[in-house]
Amino acid sequence: MAGTDPIHQFVISDIFTVFRMGGDGTEGSGLNFAFTNSALFMVATVVAVSAYMLLSSSQRSLVPNRLQMTSEMLYEFIANMLRSSAGSEGMRFFPFVFSLFIFILVGNLLGLVPYFFTFTSHIIVTFALAMLVILVVTIYGLMRHGLGFFKLFAPSGVPGYVLPIVIPIEIVSFLSRPISLSVRLFGNILAGHITLKVFTGFVVTMGAAGWLGWLGALLPLTMGVALTALEFLVAAVQAYVFAVLTSMYLNDAVHPSH
Amino acid sequence: MVNPQDNQGRTESAGGVTRDLASRIASAQRARDIAAKGAAAEGGRDNTGLARGLRLGSEFAAAILVGTGIGYLADLGLGTSPWGLLIMLMVGFAAGVMNVIRAVNEMNKEAQASPATGAGPEQRDDPPAETR
Repeated sequence: MAGTDPIHQFVISDIFTVFRMGGDGTEGSGLNFAFTNSALFMVATVVAVSAYMLLSSSQRSLVPNRLQMTSEMLYEFIANMLRSSAGSEGMRFFPFVFSLFIFILVGNLLGLVPYFFTFTSHIIVTFALAMLVILVVTIYGLMRHGLGFFKLFAPSGVPGYVLPIVIPIEIVSFLSRPISLSVRLFGNILAGHITLKVFTGFVVTMGAAGWLGWLGALLPLTMGVALTALEFLVAAVQAYVFAVLTSMYLNDAVHPSH
Repeated sequence: MVNPQDNQGRTESAGGVTRDLASRIASAQRARDIAAKGAAAEGGRDNTGLARGLRLGSEFAAAILVGTGIGYLADLGLGTSPWGLLIMLMVGFAAGVMNVIRAVNEMNKEAQASPATGAGPEQRDDPPAETR
């Protein structure tokens, strides 16, 4: 059953060990910092994105060719989104938001290639990305507005006697952002990949039952094709959602009173 | 866009030139605004109901989890079990409801703002909601 095990695709395996820390030299003791298959695909994503961006912007023609056009459209898309949610002041975060968007998008799309690993299907990866966003928001907000940033937790126009109730609620709401941001991306990608694997796994197991099984296997096969199309949509939508929410949170850092 | 050469003969006075320039800047800004809104609507179009529902669900669940977690840790530290857990569960619930209300408000605002543009590059039959 190893071939149709829906969880097997998420196994992290070491490719080579970078260095070890602590432990007494025996196998499995101490901390092992390895270059894993997850790291390999992150590097592959960064290399692919960088190569595409460098290649498409190398001409720098005033009238863009097709390749340059695609990267200009990507730029416009993210720039408009950031400008509409965080204002023109938020545009200083454009490199950050664009990198996040393209990294998640290409990572999701690469993961749809058969036998490829999807690093966004691990919550620690998406949580690290979400914490990066929240830390940027908090540190920039504190740098920019000082203690005025904490006005974020006390909305204007709220009478003083309800503040003791509102402030804890606002703080919990703020702290829940990295959780919801990371769980959403991870959950969508994980669930999609498992569903895809379960349905296509049915084709193999039903096929073992003879010609009637192969006939019945047409149903899960159709489902698998449809789900693949849906997964492409989910991959793009989730990268977009992550970028939109990032720019909305950055808006809080730029203008803390809401 | 009007070519500068075209209206050199018509607007002789300096005031006319500035007024002409101002109107050209205004029309360029309008065109840019429309383009920006069109791009935003394009992003909203592939915004499925599934994605929207998952966003609201995760916003709600995350706040409750965070609230309960804080309460549990406070109990561990202060030995006030079970009061911290109970109170922070309620606070987390309130924060979750607030998250959902905020998210829905944003969706409604964008759904209302988009059809009002009118002058967009094309008419849409469904009001696009932006995020999720």
